[in-house]
Amino acid sequence: MKLVKQTQRGFQYELNREDVESLRFLVKQFPITAFAPARVSKTDAGSKAVEREKLINESLQAHREELKRKARGLVLRERFKTSEGKQFYRISLRARETMLQILNDIRVESWRILGEPEDPESAVFRVAGEKFRYYHFMRLAGYFEYHFLNLEEERR
Amino acid sequence: MPPLTEPSVIPQRTVKSDTRSKDQFAPTYYVVCWNDPVNFMVFVTHVFMKIFGWKRQKAEKHMMEVHEKGKSVLVREGAEKAEFYVQQLQGYKLQATMEPAE
Repeated sequence: MKLVKQTQRGFQYELNREDVESLRFLVKQFPITAFAPARVSKTDAGSKAVEREKLINESLQAHREELKRKARGLVLRERFKTSEGKQFYRISLRARETMLQILNDIRVESWRILGEPEDPESAVFRVAGEKFRYYHFMRLAGYFEYHFLNLEEERR
Repeated sequence: MPPLTEPSVIPQRTVKSDTRSKDQFAPTYYVVCWNDPVNFMVFVTHVFMKIFGWKRQKAEKHMMEVHEKGKSVLVREGAEKAEFYVQQLQGYKLQATMEPAE
């Protein structure tokens, strides 16, 4: 996967066939877990903080639903264009942010399912069976995140 | 020339107990980002730049602080804005909290 074009409106990447199928498969898995409320403060336990945590979590849950609605549209087959035997993927600036949020949600939730290992890469030595797919999801999401971001950074 | 008479209503002396604005009493919060082993450094930098509109250098400084010290105080804001930032950061799956500043 490599960046071939960057404009003020977005990016165009060249992917091989395996990348295309992996990205489409992975994004369609989102969300891999049910929504779990997040802690919003480590020190504030007052009644206002409780209410605040409730409101922020409602907002995060709605945001995740919105990501879910957008996920499939990001990897529709027609978004991948073939030219001269190569496959290209065009994505706007805003859509790329949505893509990054989806990928990182998959990555972080997979890591949680794996028991939040201190060294995520070493999880491969401890997981088996059903959980192994989450190790694969975590790595695959990281691969795409890294390329969606890093290739752009290299051009600066 | 009309005669001088004493006013029938004597204005009362008003004492302003405090002249500071309400905002000065409003609690402020530190927005804190906590370290975890799963988020890429390049990803954390990107999110800080995106949410706070920071230049790369500042975003990387805070990212390194998270990485090396376990946490970084990103901003100090009033409740509403701090809530907004925490919600945005958690939308990217970063571990962010808001802690009372006083």
